[in-house]
Amino acid sequence: MDSSIFQVYEDEIQSLEEEIKLLAEKYEDSQQESTFFSDEEILMSISSYQTEIEGHEFPSNLKAELETLETDLSFLMKFTGIQFTNHSKKTVEKTRNRTVQKHRLSGNCHSLSFRLDFQLLEMQNKENVSVVITDLSIIMESGEDSDVSKFVERAEECGNLLTFFRSFSSYAEWYEHRRCTFRHFKAKYPEIVTLPEGLLGDHIVLRNPSAPGFELMIVWKIHMDEEGTTIPVLDLLTKVPEKGLEQKMATIERAPSRFRSMLLLLGIEAAIDNLIKVVGSEK
Amino acid sequence: MEGGKACAPSGVFAHLEMLEMQSHEAAVKQEEMEQQEEKLARLKATVQELRLQRDDLQAKVDLQQKGQLGKEGVVLPPAQPSARAVLEWKIKSLKAMLRLFYLTGISGKLTKKGVCFCISTAYEGTYLDSYYLDLLTEPEVQIYRHSVPIFIPLEEIAKKYLQTDIRRFLSVLSDHLNAYVQRRYQADQLQKHFSDQIEGKLQRNSLCDLLVFNYNVSRKSKTFLFKVRLLYGDLCCSLPTEAVVSCASDAPASVAEMAAAHSGLFRRVALHKAFRSFGSA
Repeated sequence: MDSSIFQVYEDEIQSLEEEIKLLAEKYEDSQQESTFFSDEEILMSISSYQTEIEGHEFPSNLKAELETLETDLSFLMKFTGIQFTNHSKKTVEKTRNRTVQKHRLSGNCHSLSFRLDFQLLEMQNKENVSVVITDLSIIMESGEDSDVSKFVERAEECGNLLTFFRSFSSYAEWYEHRRCTFRHFKAKYPEIVTLPEGLLGDHIVLRNPSAPGFELMIVWKIHMDEEGTTIPVLDLLTKVPEKGLEQKMATIERAPSRFRSMLLLLGIEAAIDNLIKVVGSEK
Repeated sequence: MEGGKACAPSGVFAHLEMLEMQSHEAAVKQEEMEQQEEKLARLKATVQELRLQRDDLQAKVDLQQKGQLGKEGVVLPPAQPSARAVLEWKIKSLKAMLRLFYLTGISGKLTKKGVCFCISTAYEGTYLDSYYLDLLTEPEVQIYRHSVPIFIPLEEIAKKYLQTDIRRFLSVLSDHLNAYVQRRYQADQLQKHFSDQIEGKLQRNSLCDLLVFNYNVSRKSKTFLFKVRLLYGDLCCSLPTEAVVSCASDAPASVAEMAAAHSGLFRRVALHKAFRSFGSA
């Protein structure tokens, strides 16, 4: 008997097996993607799973696995400051060496929230898997910062998700830092410090209760360039009543530049603290 | 006669032997045939079975997709799922979420004695190499194992930040790795897509912070050779700090101007994109 006839069948078996594996994955993916269980349902299942397996000899591997994954996830979220609150995906194409998924991911980075939609293309080459992001759309909370919108626009254009995450977390870190600093000074010097736009605004106003009309405003912007590098930029604006402070005009005019050199020398917190002390001592 | 007498039996024996052998061979052949037929039947049955299995699955997948098309959004599982199924679902979705951290540039998992971090790199939307850092945290933070290339100043960065600020350490390291991978990617793209313009070999060092190559520029049906030397002075940056483009000293002024313009472009635009813009110009 011709051995090639076996080959024909063997080839078909192999291709069928591959097809079945792919279909099974497709089915499972879709099942996974179209299902949702609340935290409550999961907690209930954990306890009923435990009673279910108590009579058996094998250890509760699933529960242990779940716990490890949860610890890893909470560690990463804490470490990076990036919290994912919601994630859904849909596999739109799947072949042996090519998978296309649509993702929707929302969460927050420190106190700023974001929502991302993107397409993830995975290609299996001989040795490695290549991942490409396309159709990226970013919605984020950043006030009306035009720097940030420009950066986001560019990231969307290039599908630059990694840079987005890195820059956004550095931006959010500064944002958080500014909020904490403002809160700290408001608590430390409640008579002098006011927050016209609240803790989330980008400026604070310093007033000496015994010198009405005289005001210093510290403006703290967080700049982001097109590449996504963030730097804090602080400035001092002065407001002086028309009469009475003539002899101090020179000092006041020099204040902004002195504040800038103080920032370089002492850092943000100490520079602001010094300035507040000066304002407080004015009589 | 005697010899004949003696011969005849031996002739018979030989004949018998031959017959026996023939029948044995036939039996073996028969057996082989049967085995092959059996094997064929088995294969046929397997194929049949697999086809059925495939059709079943296909039908299930089709039904699933129809169901999803009918109802936007969430499709409820058909029956009350078992506790095990719910846990398996949760495990899968946690794994998917953990995998997403790969996209942020830093992912990792806790180990018995510390953390194993993975730094991923990308050029725009294309994810490139990942590097691993196995850190021990007790009694002090130290690098146990890593896959960071030798030419990345890991020790220097570690000395500066590892003990005081692990986040900063990883962020600086990631800047170095991303910039290196991006420089390499640009050089690769240049070789891949513009080899017809490149004259000779593109030379680069392992850190890809120095690139030297020559390329042809045609102007008014004449071809000029430009020599380029790109130096990436900032190791955390994927654009060169120094771009020298020179042409032959006897080239016309307009060509020299063009070389100067290219030099400016190389400092602002990724290498392969700069070449793409020459093509369209």
